[in-house]
Amino acid sequence: MKSAPFSVASKLVGDAAVIYPKGYLNNLSGESLVKECGIYIGKGITKIVVNFSETDLINSIGISLLLQIIEDLKNIKGTICCTNMSKFLRDTFEMLGLIQYMVVFSAESDALEYLNTGKR
Amino acid sequence: MSTELKKALYNISALADLGQAITSESVFHEKIQSVFYVITGTFLANKGAILSYDKSSNRLNTLTQKGFPQADLDRVDPEKLMALGKNEPCPIGDGPLSPVSGAEIVTPLWVGDGFIGVLFLSGKLTGGPYTEEELELLNVIAHQIAIALNNHTLFMDLSDKLEENRRLYEEMRHIYHGTLQAFAAAIDAKDAYTQNHSYRVAKYSAAIARELGWSEHDIEGMYVAGYLHDVGKLAISNDLLNKVTPFTPAERMEIRKHSTTSHEITSKIKFPWKNVQDMVWHHHERLDGRGYPEALAHESLSDGVRILSLADSFDAMTSQRPYRKKMDVQSAIGELKKCLESQFDNKILLVFCKVLEKEIKGELPEPDILPHLDRNSDLSVISSMLEAIIQELSAP
Repeated sequence: MKSAPFSVASKLVGDAAVIYPKGYLNNLSGESLVKECGIYIGKGITKIVVNFSETDLINSIGISLLLQIIEDLKNIKGTICCTNMSKFLRDTFEMLGLIQYMVVFSAESDALEYLNTGKR
Repeated sequence: MSTELKKALYNISALADLGQAITSESVFHEKIQSVFYVITGTFLANKGAILSYDKSSNRLNTLTQKGFPQADLDRVDPEKLMALGKNEPCPIGDGPLSPVSGAEIVTPLWVGDGFIGVLFLSGKLTGGPYTEEELELLNVIAHQIAIALNNHTLFMDLSDKLEENRRLYEEMRHIYHGTLQAFAAAIDAKDAYTQNHSYRVAKYSAAIARELGWSEHDIEGMYVAGYLHDVGKLAISNDLLNKVTPFTPAERMEIRKHSTTSHEITSKIKFPWKNVQDMVWHHHERLDGRGYPEALAHESLSDGVRILSLADSFDAMTSQRPYRKKMDVQSAIGELKKCLESQFDNKILLVFCKVLEKEIKGELPEPDILPHLDRNSDLSVISSMLEAIIQELSAP
């Protein structure tokens, strides 16, 4: 079965960018996620929320791309929050040890609240 | 499920990702980029590089990289890499390499005894050394990348050789055509009245063959037959060829020998095209069997012979000859039509008219017939005539 092509949408909420990846993060089309985050980082945004509600699966290519975003934010002392993750995504990030580089929330609004107030 | 088991499953799926990336239909640089992501994603390395070895320059070329200073990669000595284990990941600190800032693991890529390139990886984002299992996995991955790079190199070498052969073939073809043209000029030079006759007959014949839908190869054969159809005239004296008064029966017989002589000369050449010899031999045959040298008729005459016969006659009629003035284009076309069935083929005349009509209307980018016709010709009159003939010959 052929999966739907990967796409990315985004919006700015206050001083945080919310990114909505859609589809299986498993090939070069996932580079658009890095590019989208890069655009916000280039504009001085240091807080990024990635809402994974429409991305259930990820492979090593997707991990590599996510790694780039984490690295880019690390370099500017930024924050990445991941929300609405499937169990598979959460387990994968935990197993790889990536979870320590992100703040995980079940809902996007919680992440935005955290970024706004600094409280969980 | 334990973390170890989950990690093992992740590594297995990473190998599957690698296989998919390598065997995908993507272009090479996209494949390499996917492979690169699979590796960095598998080991959580935030820096990495894949370099390929160019044997002819003894240099390493960066195919893709992230995070390393390019100058460091440019300084890597392939000879020193070759001293390391084949596809064996090796901590940089232990090796004899000049340092690549940020690189922790180097893996020379080999296929058999051929050094293919190298893979550099930084430390892991999560810190900590590469485990034994991870180094074993990297060894497996290195084998796969080496094979993919080697296949690409072999493919590129083959493509280069193919391109070189194609270029040489075109060069040979060019020389061959140049030789033919020189030869045709020598034939035509024997007779002051037939200058460029062979060239024009070749052009007209090829144009008809093209309109008939022949393959490029067969069109080229037709072209060559046009060039060489009168080569037998080289054996006829200049005095006879340029004679102003009518030929005696003996002289006519002598002149008529030229098509057989053309056949004898061309038979000694092994052409890559079929029927060239047949076409030059029989270009003076007629459908009614009253032609020469063999008085063949109808089914015995190939389309190539019929084309050459018409093209030759048309050019002969529209060219000045020592014993008569040249005909205008309309009269020559009228003469071809008059001799349908007896001398010329309906289908070939129809196609000839269609090509000329297209050329007059500017529908063909490179006209073959029109540029050689009398400049004083009234094209609108010719066009009307052609339209009428096309309509008549197309009727069921």
